[in-house]
Amino acid sequence: RIDEGGSDMSPPAAGCCHVTGFKVENWKQNLRAIYQCFVWSGSAETRKRKAKSCICHMCGAHLNRLHSCLYCVFFGCFTKKHIHEHAKTKRHNLAIDLLYGGIYCFMCQDYIYDKDMEQIAKEEQRKAWKLQAFTPTVVSHYQCTMTGIGEKYSTWEPTKRELELLRHNPKRRKITTNCTIGLRGLINLGNTCFMNCIVQALTHTPLLRDFFLSDRHKCEMQSPSSCLVCEMSTLFQEFYSGHRSPHIPYRLLHLVWTHARHLAGYEQQDAHEFLIAALDVLHRHCKGDDNGKKANNPNHCNCIIDQIFTGGLQSDVTCQVCHGVSTTIDPFWDISLDLPGSSTPFWPLSPGSDGSVVNGESHVSGTTTLTDCLRRFTRPEHLGSSAKIKCSGCHSYQESTKQLTMKKLPIVACFHLKRFEHSAKLRRKITTYVSFPLELDMTPFMASSKESRMNGQYQQPTDSLNNDNKYSLFAVVNHQGTLESGHYTSFIRQHKDQWFKCDDAIITKASIKDVLDSEGYLLFYHKQFLEYE
Amino acid sequence: MKMEEMSLSGLDNSKLEAIAHEIYTDLVEDACLGLCFEVHRAVKCGYFFLDDTDPDSMKDFEIVDQPGVDIFGQVYNQWKNKECVCPNCSRSIAASRFAPHLEKCLGMGRNSSRIANRRIASSNNMNKSESDQEDNDDINDNDWSYGSEKKAKKRKSDKNPNSPRRSKSLKHKNGELSGNSDPFKYSNSSGINYETLGPEELRSLLTTQCGVISEHTKKMCTRSLRCPQHTDEQRRSVRVYLLGPSASLPEAEGSMENEGFDVAESQALMSRLQWDGSSDISPSDSASSKASTNNSESRKTKKKKPHLSLVGGTPGLSSSKKKKPKPPAPPTPSIYDDIN
Repeated sequence: RIDEGGSDMSPPAAGCCHVTGFKVENWKQNLRAIYQCFVWSGSAETRKRKAKSCICHMCGAHLNRLHSCLYCVFFGCFTKKHIHEHAKTKRHNLAIDLLYGGIYCFMCQDYIYDKDMEQIAKEEQRKAWKLQAFTPTVVSHYQCTMTGIGEKYSTWEPTKRELELLRHNPKRRKITTNCTIGLRGLINLGNTCFMNCIVQALTHTPLLRDFFLSDRHKCEMQSPSSCLVCEMSTLFQEFYSGHRSPHIPYRLLHLVWTHARHLAGYEQQDAHEFLIAALDVLHRHCKGDDNGKKANNPNHCNCIIDQIFTGGLQSDVTCQVCHGVSTTIDPFWDISLDLPGSSTPFWPLSPGSDGSVVNGESHVSGTTTLTDCLRRFTRPEHLGSSAKIKCSGCHSYQESTKQLTMKKLPIVACFHLKRFEHSAKLRRKITTYVSFPLELDMTPFMASSKESRMNGQYQQPTDSLNNDNKYSLFAVVNHQGTLESGHYTSFIRQHKDQWFKCDDAIITKASIKDVLDSEGYLLFYHKQFLEYE
Repeated sequence: MKMEEMSLSGLDNSKLEAIAHEIYTDLVEDACLGLCFEVHRAVKCGYFFLDDTDPDSMKDFEIVDQPGVDIFGQVYNQWKNKECVCPNCSRSIAASRFAPHLEKCLGMGRNSSRIANRRIASSNNMNKSESDQEDNDDINDNDWSYGSEKKAKKRKSDKNPNSPRRSKSLKHKNGELSGNSDPFKYSNSSGINYETLGPEELRSLLTTQCGVISEHTKKMCTRSLRCPQHTDEQRRSVRVYLLGPSASLPEAEGSMENEGFDVAESQALMSRLQWDGSSDISPSDSASSKASTNNSESRKTKKKKPHLSLVGGTPGLSSSKKKKPKPPAPPTPSIYDDIN
């Protein structure tokens, strides 16, 4: 109730005059001790001690909003007013809430926020967080946060001066569910629809968005104007600026062509190729952001691109004679899937013939699903007598089977449906409709599920409690037209259930049905639940 | 409630459930309390109002869902006049033509070296008509279908009536077919798509037109039978390719060289993306793409021939890129001769 004076640069606080009696002698140390022992538990021992010793001195309760008196060693619960009684009888006017560390003033009968005391509280909390071992965090569906290691995330707080300014300037860009902020069209620079679609997909990748909007990129390039990551950061600023006119991504094009020269050229290009090239350049330019952890492998650092997009593909080659298995794991950014109708043999069983309903896809007979394609991708493949592998067990060349499975799934999984066929005789586009789901469970395709698939049968029931491998669709890139000339458009997801169609400069609302009925060329899925490693 | 140490081992399911439920409700309550504190502090310290915005601003950013307009309520296709400044040459360029400009500007296009060579040659020759021809080449290049250069250039040379580039207003949108249903009509699209024509139509077409298929756009050249950009050899081969071995040029002579457009070449050209530096595999060499048993170079999709630089002006070679050695063609006299 009392607005504390103080410098304009300080955070706004609302203390009270009754704390002056407390702020004597060693009060800071005492307060620290209280925070360390009874409020913020940094280690297992302090946690245990807190649990054992913090009980109400009057009723023995250990919950009920327990408070500690600031003047003496007394714990009392708030709910039963035991701490109030103590305050009255002993005239100890301040108490601290042991759960959140707030200071309660019995004279004001309210929690107060004293600048100095809050400073101590913040410092102690930070210390405790650093000591804490990791705990997995289950995050709500489609909302993700990533915090740094040992660092408690603290929200921005305005200083007094800033508050004043904000009060005088009440217009804001507030992001609600029915809001255009975050969406923006992109001008086609001359056959650059392939680039525009990838940009739309990337700017709507939640983790990437959060990374850039929280300013996590620290540029270490010689000249920041040639850094593609900086340009990406600018792109996010443009998308969240509230501008309605489409953005002109000419600097982006210039940077990509400069850093990925094989892509340069005005002719129509492939969106998938552009995605891989863009990720590669971003990854190379991300050197400053890997939190000081330089992995030995230059291709797998800890940059944001690797954290989000890199998965591990396990390849097991089994010798048919000695049954020895040779395993390699390669990193990947995308999974390219063959389609029926291509000249390669597809799934030996007709799609959906085993009658199972997987991933909520109903098998209209004859419709190929994304799951069918994934099953084919992960099936054991007999390599044939013309492709014998040198087996280290048998010390000779033997026939073998090869099988691919996912060792580690990326946070964002990109599926590339191979619609452009180039074989010796044929160059064409495969327009077979492939149905893909809104939610996808990748468990059957994991290396860990491999054993049950050895005989090519899909049998494993989906474990609804295991959320590790659940993915949600958030972007679809489509191609219309022929092999030689065509046009790319994309669908992107915003605010959980809203979809928008992005056709270069034109952004329109789309229905989920529009999205799922579309042909599908690149499919972007995002992990639903994130955990620390 | 009192706190006591207890072992969980002796308890039955219902007790365990009760304990779990208790813990759950405690956690929910604590979480709610935390939220209350946040709000309380925001109100007390005076920054709670920050979240709000006035209703007008809210309206400003509301999504519009009406036919004919985008989500911002804007009519489609009003962005023709956008411009940008080229980071390379600092000129102001129309945004929708920035890509072809940049390609030339950075010297990485297919035609860049040809154009560059020609410019060098013409500046050596100081021949006015040469430089006019040079402009013409850009414009008459039927593999690019960009509209006219808005800059004032003197174009004295004849407008080739066979050039598909006559009308400048029609834009070639991202490679969409120009919506021209009549394949025989000269239009501003980059030629004719031979795939859509039947054999009779093709035959008839090829009696009057050059017909050589561009490597880049895969369309047939619509110039005359004596078009200077392609050789007779190429014209012969495209007829063989499209109409069978018995086909020949109306005024045919010479050997039947089965060259010209070769489907198999295109895939051989586009090798895997080469990433520099590392000994370990980069995710861009995705094993998943290699994984399929499709023997073809499946990564090449719509990408046309890449950046190979061309020798300027040698007749017959200018519009195709071939990796296999080409037997020297007898040079037909053409305007390109001076370059060599």
